Amino acid sequence: MANAREIQSRMKSIKDTMKITNAMYMISSSKLKKAKQTLMATEPYFYTLQMAIGRILRHMSEEEVHNVYFDERKEIEEKDRKKGYIVVTADKGMAGAYNHNVIKLAEEHMNESEHPMLFVLGELGRHYFTKQHMPIEETFHYTVQNPTMNRARNISERILDRYKAGELDDVYIIYTKMNGPIQTETEMLQLLPLKKSEFGPAPIGVPLENIEMTPSPAAVMEHIVPNYVAGFVYGALVESYASEHNSRMMAMEAATNSAKDMLRMLEIEFNRVRQAAITQEITEVISGAKAQKKKKK
Amino acid sequence: MNTFYLKVIASDKTFFSGRCKSLVVQTLDGEVGILAHRENVVTAVAMGEIRITDLEDNVITAVVGTGFLQVMNNRVTVLVDTAELPEEIDIRRAQEAKERAEEQMRQKQSIQEYHHSQASLARAMSRLKLTSKYN
Repeated sequence: MANAREIQSRMKSIKDTMKITNAMYMISSSKLKKAKQTLMATEPYFYTLQMAIGRILRHMSEEEVHNVYFDERKEIEEKDRKKGYIVVTADKGMAGAYNHNVIKLAEEHMNESEHPMLFVLGELGRHYFTKQHMPIEETFHYTVQNPTMNRARNISERILDRYKAGELDDVYIIYTKMNGPIQTETEMLQLLPLKKSEFGPAPIGVPLENIEMTPSPAAVMEHIVPNYVAGFVYGALVESYASEHNSRMMAMEAATNSAKDMLRMLEIEFNRVRQAAITQEITEVISGAKAQKKKKK
Repeated sequence: MNTFYLKVIASDKTFFSGRCKSLVVQTLDGEVGILAHRENVVTAVAMGEIRITDLEDNVITAVVGTGFLQVMNNRVTVLVDTAELPEEIDIRRAQEAKERAEEQMRQKQSIQEYHHSQASLARAMSRLKLTSKYN
Protein backbone atom coordinates (compact mmCIF):
# COMPACT_ATOMS: atom_id res chain seq x y z
CA MET A 1 0.00 0.00 0.00
CA ALA A 2 1.29 3.46 -0.93
CA ASN A 3 2.04 5.77 1.95
CA ALA A 4 -0.15 8.71 2.89
CA ARG A 5 2.04 11.35 1.33
CA GLU A 6 2.06 9.62 -2.07
CA ILE A 7 -1.71 9.33 -2.06
CA GLN A 8 -2.06 12.97 -1.14
CA SER A 9 0.12 14.17 -3.98
CA ARG A 10 -1.79 11.95 -6.39
CA MET A 11 -5.07 13.47 -5.18
CA LYS A 12 -3.70 16.93 -5.65
CA SER A 13 -2.74 16.26 -9.26
CA ILE A 14 -6.17 14.79 -9.99
CA LYS A 15 -7.80 17.85 -8.45
CA ASP A 16 -5.73 20.12 -10.69
CA THR A 17 -6.69 18.18 -13.81
CA MET A 18 -10.30 18.28 -12.71
CA LYS A 19 -10.16 22.06 -12.50
CA ILE A 20 -9.06 22.17 -16.14
CA THR A 21 -11.66 19.71 -17.42
CA ASN A 22 -14.34 21.52 -15.47
CA ALA A 23 -13.32 24.87 -16.95
CA MET A 24 -13.32 23.39 -20.45
CA TYR A 25 -16.77 22.01 -19.81
CA MET A 26 -18.07 25.45 -18.88
CA ILE A 27 -16.43 27.14 -21.87
CA SER A 28 -17.84 24.57 -24.27
CA SER A 29 -21.32 24.83 -22.87
CA SER A 30 -21.38 28.61 -23.27
CA LYS A 31 -19.99 28.34 -26.81
CA LEU A 32 -22.56 25.71 -27.62
CA LYS A 33 -25.32 28.01 -26.51
CA LYS A 34 -24.01 30.77 -28.77
CA ALA A 35 -23.62 28.43 -31.74
CA LYS A 36 -27.19 27.21 -31.34
CA GLN A 37 -28.45 30.77 -31.34
CA THR A 38 -26.62 31.57 -34.58
CA LEU A 39 -28.05 28.45 -36.11
CA MET A 40 -31.57 29.46 -35.18
CA ALA A 41 -31.05 32.93 -36.61
CA THR A 42 -30.02 31.60 -40.03
CA GLU A 43 -32.78 29.06 -40.40
CA PRO A 44 -35.41 31.36 -41.96
CA TYR A 45 -32.92 32.59 -44.56
CA PHE A 46 -31.89 29.12 -45.55
CA TYR A 47 -35.38 27.63 -45.79
CA THR A 48 -36.73 30.55 -47.78
CA LEU A 49 -33.81 30.26 -50.17
CA GLN A 50 -34.43 26.56 -50.65
CA MET A 51 -38.13 27.11 -51.26
CA ALA A 52 -37.47 29.90 -53.72
CA ILE A 53 -35.07 27.81 -55.77
CA GLY A 54 -37.65 25.04 -55.79
CA ARG A 55 -40.27 27.42 -57.05
CA ILE A 56 -38.06 28.79 -59.77
CA LEU A 57 -37.14 25.28 -60.86
CA ARG A 58 -40.79 24.36 -61.22
CA HIS A 59 -41.27 27.31 -63.52
CA MET A 60 -38.36 26.52 -65.73
CA SER A 61 -38.56 24.18 -68.65
CA GLU A 62 -36.21 21.19 -68.83
CA GLU A 63 -33.70 22.81 -71.14
CA GLU A 64 -33.65 26.00 -69.12
CA VAL A 65 -32.72 23.99 -66.05
CA HIS A 66 -29.57 22.91 -67.86
CA ASN A 67 -27.69 25.34 -65.80
CA VAL A 68 -24.06 24.66 -64.97
CA TYR A 69 -24.96 24.00 -61.32
CA PHE A 70 -27.43 21.27 -62.24
CA ASP A 71 -25.25 19.64 -64.88
CA GLU A 72 -24.47 16.13 -63.70
CA ARG A 73 -21.81 15.66 -66.39
CA LYS A 74 -23.02 12.19 -67.20
CA GLU A 75 -20.59 11.94 -70.11
CA ILE A 76 -17.74 11.53 -67.62
CA GLU A 77 -17.15 7.94 -66.53
CA GLU A 78 -17.48 7.09 -62.86
CA LYS A 79 -13.79 6.24 -62.54
CA ASP A 80 -12.66 9.49 -64.13
CA ARG A 81 -14.78 11.75 -62.00
CA LYS A 82 -12.88 14.20 -59.88
CA LYS A 83 -14.51 14.26 -56.50
CA GLY A 84 -13.98 16.99 -53.97
CA TYR A 85 -14.65 16.49 -50.29
CA ILE A 86 -15.04 19.35 -47.86
CA VAL A 87 -14.19 17.84 -44.50
CA VAL A 88 -15.11 19.77 -41.39
CA THR A 89 -13.01 18.81 -38.36
CA ALA A 90 -12.14 20.73 -35.22
CA ASP A 91 -9.08 22.88 -34.54
CA LYS A 92 -8.36 21.01 -31.33
CA GLY A 93 -8.84 17.54 -29.92
CA MET A 94 -10.33 16.65 -26.54
CA ALA A 95 -13.76 16.28 -28.04
CA GLY A 96 -14.42 12.59 -27.65
CA ALA A 97 -15.00 10.76 -30.93
CA TYR A 98 -15.96 13.91 -32.85
CA ASN A 99 -12.85 14.21 -35.03
CA HIS A 100 -12.40 10.49 -35.30
CA ASN A 101 -15.88 9.99 -36.74
CA VAL A 102 -15.42 12.69 -39.36
CA ILE A 103 -12.02 11.38 -40.46
CA LYS A 104 -13.29 7.80 -40.61
CA LEU A 105 -16.20 8.75 -42.84
CA ALA A 106 -13.96 10.82 -45.09
CA GLU A 107 -11.51 7.94 -45.53
CA GLU A 108 -14.27 5.49 -46.34
CA HIS A 109 -15.57 7.65 -49.16
CA MET A 110 -12.18 8.66 -50.46
CA ASN A 111 -11.26 5.05 -51.05
CA GLU A 112 -14.27 4.68 -53.32
CA SER A 113 -13.20 7.30 -55.81
CA GLU A 114 -10.17 7.37 -58.07
CA HIS A 115 -9.45 11.08 -58.01
CA PRO A 116 -10.31 12.41 -54.61
CA MET A 117 -9.39 15.90 -53.51
CA LEU A 118 -9.73 16.99 -49.91
CA PHE A 119 -10.61 20.44 -48.70
CA VAL A 120 -10.01 20.19 -44.99
CA LEU A 121 -11.33 22.68 -42.50
CA GLY A 122 -9.87 22.61 -39.02
CA GLU A 123 -6.29 22.20 -37.86
CA LEU A 124 -6.64 18.69 -36.50
CA GLY A 125 -7.95 17.14 -39.71
CA ARG A 126 -5.35 18.96 -41.76
CA HIS A 127 -2.52 17.54 -39.63
CA TYR A 128 -3.95 14.06 -39.86
CA PHE A 129 -4.39 14.02 -43.63
CA THR A 130 -1.01 15.64 -44.26
CA LYS A 131 0.63 12.92 -42.19
CA GLN A 132 -1.21 10.25 -44.16
CA HIS A 133 -0.03 11.87 -47.44
CA MET A 134 -3.55 12.28 -48.70
CA PRO A 135 -4.21 14.64 -51.60
CA ILE A 136 -5.28 17.77 -49.74
CA GLU A 137 -5.59 21.27 -51.07
CA GLU A 138 -2.65 23.05 -49.43
CA THR A 139 -3.87 26.60 -49.62
CA PHE A 140 -7.27 25.93 -48.17
CA HIS A 141 -6.72 27.50 -44.77
CA TYR A 142 -9.84 28.33 -42.86
CA THR A 143 -10.51 28.03 -39.17
CA VAL A 144 -13.71 26.52 -37.86
CA GLN A 145 -14.00 28.81 -34.84
CA ASN A 146 -17.02 31.12 -34.77
CA PRO A 147 -18.30 30.45 -38.28
CA THR A 148 -19.30 33.57 -40.21
CA MET A 149 -21.26 34.05 -43.40
CA ASN A 150 -18.24 35.80 -44.87
CA ARG A 151 -16.01 32.77 -44.43
CA ALA A 152 -18.69 30.47 -45.83
CA ARG A 153 -18.94 32.72 -48.87
CA ASN A 154 -15.17 32.60 -49.42
CA ILE A 155 -15.17 28.83 -49.18
CA SER A 156 -18.08 28.37 -51.55
CA GLU A 157 -16.57 30.85 -54.03
CA ARG A 158 -13.40 28.82 -54.26
CA ILE A 159 -15.25 25.55 -54.62
CA LEU A 160 -17.61 26.96 -57.26
CA ASP A 161 -14.70 28.34 -59.26
CA ARG A 162 -13.07 24.94 -59.39
CA TYR A 163 -16.34 23.26 -60.18
CA LYS A 164 -17.04 25.62 -63.05
CA ALA A 165 -13.51 25.24 -64.38
CA GLY A 166 -14.05 21.47 -64.55
CA GLU A 167 -11.43 20.71 -61.91
CA LEU A 168 -14.12 19.10 -59.80
CA ASP A 169 -17.10 17.07 -61.01
CA ASP A 170 -18.80 16.23 -57.73
CA VAL A 171 -18.47 18.05 -54.46
CA TYR A 172 -19.44 16.53 -51.13
CA ILE A 173 -19.40 17.98 -47.68
CA ILE A 174 -18.68 15.85 -44.62
CA TYR A 175 -19.79 17.42 -41.39
CA THR A 176 -21.43 16.62 -38.07
CA LYS A 177 -24.97 17.64 -37.40
CA MET A 178 -26.92 17.98 -34.21
CA ASN A 179 -29.61 15.33 -33.87
CA GLY A 180 -31.73 16.63 -31.07
CA PRO A 181 -30.27 18.40 -28.06
CA ILE A 182 -27.46 15.95 -27.24
CA GLN A 183 -27.14 13.48 -30.12
CA THR A 184 -24.69 14.24 -32.91
CA GLU A 185 -24.30 12.43 -36.21
CA THR A 186 -21.60 12.56 -38.86
CA GLU A 187 -23.07 12.97 -42.30
CA MET A 188 -22.04 13.33 -45.92
CA LEU A 189 -24.10 15.37 -48.36
CA GLN A 190 -23.69 16.18 -52.00
CA LEU A 191 -23.15 19.89 -52.51
CA LEU A 192 -22.67 20.00 -56.27
CA PRO A 193 -24.13 19.42 -58.80
CA LEU A 194 -27.48 20.34 -57.34
CA LYS A 195 -30.28 17.85 -57.77
CA LYS A 196 -33.64 19.03 -58.89
CA SER A 197 -35.41 16.49 -56.71
CA GLU A 198 -33.86 17.98 -53.57
CA PHE A 199 -36.07 20.99 -53.83
CA GLY A 200 -39.27 19.01 -53.59
CA PRO A 201 -41.90 18.01 -56.13
CA ALA A 202 -44.51 20.43 -57.37
CA PRO A 203 -47.57 20.53 -55.10
CA ILE A 204 -50.36 18.55 -56.74
CA GLY A 205 -53.58 20.32 -57.67
CA VAL A 206 -52.14 23.80 -57.37
CA PRO A 207 -52.10 25.58 -60.71
CA LEU A 208 -48.74 27.07 -61.59
CA GLU A 209 -48.83 30.79 -61.20
CA ASN A 210 -47.28 32.72 -63.98
CA ILE A 211 -44.13 34.38 -62.77
CA GLU A 212 -42.17 36.93 -64.62
CA MET A 213 -38.44 36.59 -64.12
CA THR A 214 -36.21 39.52 -64.82
CA PRO A 215 -33.81 39.76 -66.56
CA SER A 216 -34.19 36.02 -67.32
CA PRO A 217 -34.67 32.79 -65.32
CA ALA A 218 -31.10 31.80 -66.06
CA ALA A 219 -29.73 35.12 -64.81
CA VAL A 220 -31.78 34.87 -61.62
CA MET A 221 -30.58 31.31 -61.08
CA GLU A 222 -26.99 32.31 -61.75
CA HIS A 223 -27.38 34.96 -59.09
CA ILE A 224 -28.97 32.99 -56.30
CA VAL A 225 -27.34 29.56 -56.57
CA PRO A 226 -23.95 30.79 -55.24
CA ASN A 227 -25.89 32.22 -52.29
CA TYR A 228 -27.56 28.90 -51.76
CA VAL A 229 -24.25 27.05 -51.78
CA ALA A 230 -22.74 29.60 -49.39
CA GLY A 231 -25.77 29.25 -47.15
CA PHE A 232 -25.40 25.48 -47.23
CA VAL A 233 -21.72 25.66 -46.30
CA TYR A 234 -22.53 28.12 -43.54
CA GLY A 235 -25.22 25.83 -42.15
CA ALA A 236 -22.77 22.91 -42.15
CA LEU A 237 -20.10 25.00 -40.43
CA VAL A 238 -22.45 26.12 -37.70
CA GLU A 239 -23.82 22.60 -37.18
CA SER A 240 -20.29 21.25 -36.91
CA TYR A 241 -19.25 23.98 -34.52
CA ALA A 242 -22.22 23.23 -32.29
CA SER A 243 -21.54 19.49 -32.48
CA GLU A 244 -17.87 19.97 -31.69
CA HIS A 245 -18.67 21.87 -28.53
CA ASN A 246 -21.38 19.43 -27.65
CA SER A 247 -18.93 16.52 -27.93
CA ARG A 248 -16.27 18.39 -26.01
CA MET A 249 -18.78 19.27 -23.33
CA MET A 250 -19.79 15.63 -22.92
CA ALA A 251 -16.17 14.42 -22.95
CA MET A 252 -15.19 16.95 -20.33
CA GLU A 253 -18.20 16.16 -18.20
CA ALA A 254 -17.24 12.47 -18.28
CA ALA A 255 -13.64 13.35 -17.40
CA THR A 256 -14.75 15.49 -14.46
CA ASN A 257 -17.03 12.71 -13.22
CA SER A 258 -14.35 10.06 -13.38
CA ALA A 259 -11.93 12.41 -11.62
CA LYS A 260 -14.49 12.72 -8.84
CA ASP A 261 -14.81 8.93 -8.64
CA MET A 262 -11.06 8.53 -8.44
CA LEU A 263 -10.87 11.14 -5.70
CA ARG A 264 -13.48 9.32 -3.68
CA MET A 265 -11.58 6.02 -3.95
CA LEU A 266 -8.30 7.69 -3.06
CA GLU A 267 -9.89 9.40 -0.11
CA ILE A 268 -11.00 6.05 1.29
CA GLU A 269 -7.58 4.58 0.66
CA PHE A 270 -5.93 7.58 2.27
CA ASN A 271 -8.09 7.20 5.39
CA ARG A 272 -7.24 3.52 5.61
CA VAL A 273 -3.56 4.18 5.27
CA ARG A 274 -3.72 6.87 7.92
CA GLN A 275 -5.71 4.61 10.23
CA ALA A 276 -3.25 1.79 9.72
CA ALA A 277 -0.35 4.13 10.50
CA ILE A 278 -2.04 5.30 13.73
CA THR A 279 -2.87 1.73 14.77
CA GLN A 280 0.70 0.70 14.18
CA GLU A 281 2.05 3.61 16.20
CA ILE A 282 -0.29 2.85 19.11
CA THR A 283 0.72 -0.82 19.04
CA GLU A 284 4.35 0.22 19.12
CA VAL A 285 3.81 2.60 22.05
CA ILE A 286 1.81 0.05 24.00
CA SER A 287 4.25 -2.77 23.41
CA GLY A 288 7.12 -0.42 24.35
CA ALA A 289 5.34 0.56 27.56
CA LYS A 290 4.64 -3.09 28.42
CA ALA A 291 8.27 -3.98 27.91
CA GLN A 292 9.27 -1.16 30.28
CA LYS A 293 6.79 -2.39 32.93
CA LYS A 294 8.20 -5.92 32.77
CA LYS A 295 11.71 -4.57 33.21
CA LYS A 296 10.75 -2.66 36.39
CA LYS A 297 9.31 -5.78 37.96
CA MET B 1 -53.65 53.35 -49.83
CA ASN B 2 -53.08 49.72 -50.65
CA THR B 3 -50.48 47.89 -48.68
CA PHE B 4 -48.63 44.63 -49.05
CA TYR B 5 -46.84 42.19 -46.78
CA LEU B 6 -43.07 42.49 -46.87
CA LYS B 7 -40.40 40.27 -45.40
CA VAL B 8 -36.72 41.14 -45.64
CA ILE B 9 -34.58 38.21 -44.55
CA ALA B 10 -30.82 38.47 -44.11
CA SER B 11 -28.57 35.49 -43.46
CA ASP B 12 -28.24 36.31 -39.76
CA LYS B 13 -31.62 37.83 -38.93
CA THR B 14 -35.06 38.73 -40.18
CA PHE B 15 -34.56 42.39 -40.92
CA PHE B 16 -38.13 43.47 -41.60
CA SER B 17 -41.45 41.72 -41.41
CA GLY B 18 -44.83 43.39 -41.70
CA ARG B 19 -47.09 45.42 -43.91
CA CYS B 20 -45.80 48.38 -45.86
CA LYS B 21 -46.75 50.76 -48.63
CA SER B 22 -43.83 50.69 -50.99
CA LEU B 23 -40.40 49.24 -51.50
CA VAL B 24 -37.49 50.38 -53.63
CA VAL B 25 -34.59 48.01 -54.37
CA GLN B 26 -31.58 47.92 -56.65
CA THR B 27 -31.72 45.19 -59.27
CA LEU B 28 -29.21 44.19 -61.90
CA ASP B 29 -30.87 46.58 -64.37
CA GLY B 30 -31.25 49.52 -61.97
CA GLU B 31 -33.62 50.77 -59.31
CA VAL B 32 -37.06 49.18 -59.11
CA GLY B 33 -40.02 50.34 -57.07
CA ILE B 34 -42.72 47.97 -55.90
CA LEU B 35 -46.25 48.86 -54.84
CA ALA B 36 -49.15 46.73 -53.67
CA HIS B 37 -50.70 44.19 -56.08
CA ARG B 38 -47.75 44.04 -58.35
CA GLU B 39 -47.63 41.25 -60.89
CA ASN B 40 -45.74 38.18 -59.67
CA VAL B 41 -42.05 38.48 -60.32
CA VAL B 42 -38.72 37.02 -59.28
CA THR B 43 -35.65 39.13 -59.77
CA ALA B 44 -32.07 39.37 -58.61
CA VAL B 45 -31.20 42.09 -56.10
CA ALA B 46 -27.90 43.91 -56.46
CA MET B 47 -25.81 45.28 -53.64
CA GLY B 48 -26.98 48.72 -52.58
CA GLU B 49 -29.70 50.67 -50.85
CA ILE B 50 -33.29 49.61 -50.20
CA ARG B 51 -36.08 51.91 -49.04
CA ILE B 52 -39.18 50.70 -47.28
CA THR B 53 -42.16 53.00 -46.67
CA ASP B 54 -44.12 51.62 -43.76
CA LEU B 55 -47.73 52.23 -42.74
CA GLU B 56 -46.89 55.45 -40.86
CA ASP B 57 -45.06 56.80 -43.90
CA ASN B 58 -41.68 56.39 -42.23
CA VAL B 59 -38.98 55.55 -44.73
CA ILE B 60 -36.61 52.85 -43.54
CA THR B 61 -33.37 52.93 -45.45
CA ALA B 62 -30.86 50.12 -45.32
CA VAL B 63 -27.94 48.77 -47.25
CA VAL B 64 -28.21 45.17 -48.42
CA GLY B 65 -25.93 42.64 -50.03
CA THR B 66 -26.77 40.54 -53.05
CA GLY B 67 -29.78 38.28 -53.13
CA PHE B 68 -33.15 38.15 -54.80
CA LEU B 69 -36.68 39.37 -54.50
CA GLN B 70 -39.93 37.61 -55.16
CA VAL B 71 -43.45 38.95 -55.41
CA MET B 72 -46.08 36.29 -54.91
CA ASN B 73 -49.78 37.15 -54.53
CA ASN B 74 -49.13 40.51 -52.89
CA ARG B 75 -46.50 39.08 -50.57
CA VAL B 76 -42.99 40.29 -51.14
CA THR B 77 -39.92 38.43 -49.91
CA VAL B 78 -36.47 39.97 -50.15
CA LEU B 79 -33.71 37.50 -49.40
CA VAL B 80 -30.25 39.00 -49.07
CA ASP B 81 -27.02 37.96 -47.43
CA THR B 82 -26.68 41.11 -45.31
CA ALA B 83 -28.97 43.97 -44.31
CA GLU B 84 -27.84 46.90 -42.17
CA LEU B 85 -29.35 50.15 -41.00
CA PRO B 86 -27.22 53.27 -41.55
CA GLU B 87 -26.55 53.56 -37.80
CA GLU B 88 -25.32 49.97 -37.66
CA ILE B 89 -22.58 50.59 -40.17
CA ASP B 90 -19.13 51.15 -38.80
CA ILE B 91 -17.82 53.97 -40.98
CA ARG B 92 -14.23 53.51 -40.04
CA ARG B 93 -14.33 49.81 -40.74
CA ALA B 94 -15.98 50.39 -44.09
CA GLN B 95 -13.40 53.06 -44.90
CA GLU B 96 -10.59 50.71 -44.00
CA ALA B 97 -12.14 47.93 -46.05
CA LYS B 98 -12.42 50.27 -49.01
CA GLU B 99 -8.79 51.30 -48.77
CA ARG B 100 -7.69 47.72 -48.40
CA ALA B 101 -9.71 46.66 -51.43
CA GLU B 102 -8.35 49.55 -53.52
CA GLU B 103 -4.84 48.65 -52.48
CA GLN B 104 -5.39 45.06 -53.58
CA MET B 105 -6.96 46.11 -56.86
CA ARG B 106 -3.81 48.03 -57.75
CA GLN B 107 -1.67 44.97 -57.39
CA LYS B 108 -1.37 42.16 -59.87
CA GLN B 109 -3.63 39.33 -58.88
CA SER B 110 -5.46 36.32 -60.23
CA ILE B 111 -8.92 36.72 -61.72
CA GLN B 112 -10.43 35.11 -58.67
CA GLU B 113 -8.67 37.51 -56.33
CA TYR B 114 -9.66 40.39 -58.57
CA HIS B 115 -13.35 39.52 -58.36
CA HIS B 116 -12.99 39.09 -54.67
CA SER B 117 -11.49 42.52 -54.05
CA GLN B 118 -13.96 44.03 -56.48
CA ALA B 119 -16.82 42.61 -54.43
CA SER B 120 -15.33 43.88 -51.16
CA LEU B 121 -14.85 47.31 -52.71
CA ALA B 122 -18.47 47.39 -53.85
CA ARG B 123 -19.66 46.38 -50.38
CA ALA B 124 -17.55 49.02 -48.67
CA MET B 125 -18.62 51.72 -51.11
CA SER B 126 -22.34 51.01 -50.82
CA ARG B 127 -22.00 51.20 -47.02
CA LEU B 128 -20.11 54.47 -47.14
CA LYS B 129 -22.55 55.97 -49.61
CA LEU B 130 -25.48 55.33 -47.32
CA THR B 131 -23.80 56.63 -44.17
CA SER B 132 -22.58 59.80 -45.82
CA LYS B 133 -26.14 60.51 -46.83
CA TYR B 134 -27.63 60.17 -43.36
CA ASN B 135 -24.95 61.22 -40.92
